Amino acid sequence: MDNLDREILYAVQDGIPLTREPFSAIATHLGLAPHEVVERLKRLREEKIIRKFGLFVWKNKVGIVANAMVVWSVPRERLRDVAEFFSRFEEVTHCYQRRTTPKWRYNLYTMVHGTKRKTVEEFVEELAKRTELEDYEILFSVREFVRRSTRVS
Amino acid sequence: MDRRLLEKAQNSFPLTVRPWRSIGNELSISEKEVIARLNRLSKQGFIRKIGPSLNAVQTDLRASTLVAMKLHEDRIQGVAKMIGEHRGVTHCYQREHEYNLWFTIAARNQPELEKTLEAIKHAAGVTKDELLNLPSIRTFKIDVRFRLS
Repeated sequence: MDNLDREILYAVQDGIPLTREPFSAIATHLGLAPHEVVERLKRLREEKIIRKFGLFVWKNKVGIVANAMVVWSVPRERLRDVAEFFSRFEEVTHCYQRRTTPKWRYNLYTMVHGTKRKTVEEFVEELAKRTELEDYEILFSVREFVRRSTRVS
Repeated sequence: MDRRLLEKAQNSFPLTVRPWRSIGNELSISEKEVIARLNRLSKQGFIRKIGPSLNAVQTDLRASTLVAMKLHEDRIQGVAKMIGEHRGVTHCYQREHEYNLWFTIAARNQPELEKTLEAIKHAAGVTKDELLNLPSIRTFKIDVRFRLS
């Protein structure tokens, strides 16, 4: 990622305008042609610096109001397979392995979203059944205090 | 059509000079209609943004962790406010659990991360028993998209 890439990311990180050529203004500002901005963004996406480029909805507005973090205790030798299995589901937006501590034995974390609490619970039960895992907890979110996106400066 | 449009722009956004035209072509509507619909959906509050989500590790935030705290119910709001004032805190949620406040910190390096965590710990006045520090070992998936139909 060079300085120009950084400037492009800085310019688009809060969103592009709904104009016919949304990259034109940025391109002019940086002394590039619009297609050059687009090519760079594509490359940044290929390089995984951009995780996703696209539209992000406010999930509450589209009815996704039941959000839970599910923590699982998975035997070490099965962790990878289980994580890959969980990751295949659209309802699972995040899946991480995390360090355990003497007072916290859960090593796999999934974020699960749904339109109803019950739907989320049933979905998680189904995951548990299919992986034959019994040691897990569902932590529904009550309130969001902070959510900041990763930014370049 | 609104739902199809949102889904299309969410799941497979065309990075082209005229993306709305490309989207319109795929949905058999005009570029003008795509823009008009997205403008309306934006005014109606459905759209958070149309743009990139960036990979923290690649942008130079290399250290991160998830922290949980056990707080008395009536302290949650105050502590959450204090936590949110730290620039490195990226998420902070109240959850239904004995550990009821959960937050993530991202920093350029481990010492910077520890410094933020120490400051928060101190300000919140929690003991070792009331806190979990759970750095990630491996990311298997991050893909936030929702079924809209």
